[in-house]
Amino acid sequence: MLTSQVVTLPGGRTSKVFRAGQGPIVVWLHGPHGVRGRDPVVAELARRHTVLAPLAPGFAEATELDDVRDVHDLALHYDDVLEALGLDGATVIGHSFGAMVAAEVAAHFPRRVARLVLISPLGLWREEEPVPDMFAVPYMTIDKLLWKDGAPCAEMADPADEPSDPIEKQVAVAQALTAVAKFVWPLPDRGLRRRLPRMTADTLIIAGADDPFVPASYVGAFAAAIRGARAAIIPTAGHMLPYEKPAEVFRLLDEFLDATVKAA
Amino acid sequence: MKFHWFHLMPYPYLPENFKERYRSVWVDLPAGEVYDPVKGHQVYNDYLDQLEYAESVGFDGICVNEHHQNGYGLMPSPNLMAAALARRTSKAKLVVLGNSVALYDPPIRVAEEMAMLDVLSGGRLVAGFPVGTGMDTAFCYGANPATLREKYREGVELIVRAWKTRQPFAFNGKYTQLRYVNPWPVPIQSPHPPIWIPGGGSIETWEWCVKNDFLYAYLSYWGYMSGKPVIDGFWETVERLGGEINPYRAGFLQFVGVADSDAEAERLYAGPAEYFYNRCFHIAPGYYNPPGYASVATIRKGITGQVVKASQHLRTASVRWQHLIDDGCIIAGSPSTIVDRLNDMADRIKVGHVMLLCHFGNMAHETVLYNTTRFARDVMPKLRHRFSEHEDRWWPKTALDVQKPAPIGVAAE
Repeated sequence: MLTSQVVTLPGGRTSKVFRAGQGPIVVWLHGPHGVRGRDPVVAELARRHTVLAPLAPGFAEATELDDVRDVHDLALHYDDVLEALGLDGATVIGHSFGAMVAAEVAAHFPRRVARLVLISPLGLWREEEPVPDMFAVPYMTIDKLLWKDGAPCAEMADPADEPSDPIEKQVAVAQALTAVAKFVWPLPDRGLRRRLPRMTADTLIIAGADDPFVPASYVGAFAAAIRGARAAIIPTAGHMLPYEKPAEVFRLLDEFLDATVKAA
Repeated sequence: MKFHWFHLMPYPYLPENFKERYRSVWVDLPAGEVYDPVKGHQVYNDYLDQLEYAESVGFDGICVNEHHQNGYGLMPSPNLMAAALARRTSKAKLVVLGNSVALYDPPIRVAEEMAMLDVLSGGRLVAGFPVGTGMDTAFCYGANPATLREKYREGVELIVRAWKTRQPFAFNGKYTQLRYVNPWPVPIQSPHPPIWIPGGGSIETWEWCVKNDFLYAYLSYWGYMSGKPVIDGFWETVERLGGEINPYRAGFLQFVGVADSDAEAERLYAGPAEYFYNRCFHIAPGYYNPPGYASVATIRKGITGQVVKASQHLRTASVRWQHLIDDGCIIAGSPSTIVDRLNDMADRIKVGHVMLLCHFGNMAHETVLYNTTRFARDVMPKLRHRFSEHEDRWWPKTALDVQKPAPIGVAAE
């Protein structure tokens, strides 16, 4: 059962945070689709954890982005959210754009994040294998590229989560992708590589071998810059990896969390 | 009514099978493969000759604009073209439509270059400030579509303030910070040249133009019937904000082809028209509308949707002359046909500034001169009286008595 709360941040800003499940807390930072009512990744995490999933600025209201001008403001925003939730040394799991955000937060504020899982992370640029332009398609057709089968899984396209009016649906998609574009345009490199060595979190990086957006080689690029990072590549999987191959992803994730929590 | 001769300056040597061979005329069409600079030398000089010729037959303004990385329009810097024209013309106003302000850091560069053009031309500049297309701004120049419009607005406000203030000041903006704003030269036109905003149909632009007394120009390629809802939206905004309903505060773009008969018009202009719509407009749909480029209010109005729909239609369908005539995209035929249609346009959309495309696609130089001559001689005089009861406050007034510049003479033997 997914509930939500609005937390108040310094300066009168707010953030919507979804909550599900019981147990030790994990923070889920979503990808370009936001958080959906029947989101299967949130549901699976919630079987053993309390999941706290803040909605990225700009997803609920476009004006939330007005004072979040760059990636440093974005990291500060999440630091405020984690502070409001009372979280230090947190376990943070991010996917795609959310994984880039998770890495930025862990690099800007190393003490905030003790365990970090990056799934298909954006945020780096390799000259040898550049990230293709995810925005060079009409944004209403972006699912055709992101999802292996050309359309989201049923839970992520639940009509209950989406405006029924086609124009309002277009507005919602445009608004979400604008929020992502603000921090990755024209290409997803805001200098994260220089900051990654600041991180102190135990880190696991997972990617799909056939990801059409973030090539699998980026796992190595992240791992090389993060002290002690573990990395895994899952065969025959794309960018929406945790939705496409949940069993494989959660096996790795559970192993990692069990081991690192015990060690702590 | 005023008549302006607008050049898009397309590349006229796109191959026959262009649509099958390349995915887009804009952004990623390989320059080194498609553009031939030796041919380009002739093309630029022919195009400038045509603009100068338009002055000689009596057009009020000659127009240039800015686009990047494409075969649709070869003017990444319209100011260079306007500078060349400033030296070789003396009567026509130079309508630079215009500089995409958000692409210049700092935007004060635009204030400087436009003031240079105004001084050089003796006060003949019209200063246009477009946002720029999604292709030009977000994809070619890497501008962030999420902040593009806000940055653009701030830049225009800075330029106007610099022109109005004429004393050094500090500017602490969200996108530009300058300790000393004090651009030299200052324009001849005081406080500044008329400001024209070419809009693609973004609804916030209407209100902004009215409040700041900028001219709103709707540059549509689909004819005045298709453009009417957008122009109507502008007039409704003028009325709502208590502005004066004056045709000269709006502009519209129209393709024309003058001949002795419809059949002659088709013979002369069908090829260049089909070239334009089928090759110059062959744009990969993803480049039109990056996320954030169209505001939420504009999406709700359903305006951007029409443009995208049209471009998608063009990708799959081949546009033929008869469609262009039937839909009013191009007005062609005998002078009386064209006068009738332009009168109908004046009645329906009440726009005082008409920008004519007498050149389009790969039209031959001689045909361009013929079309231009016929329009000026047989059409323009019959429409001149339209809207003469209104004062045009969006047009340069105080041009100096310009001595036509000539090379310093070398004494004859």
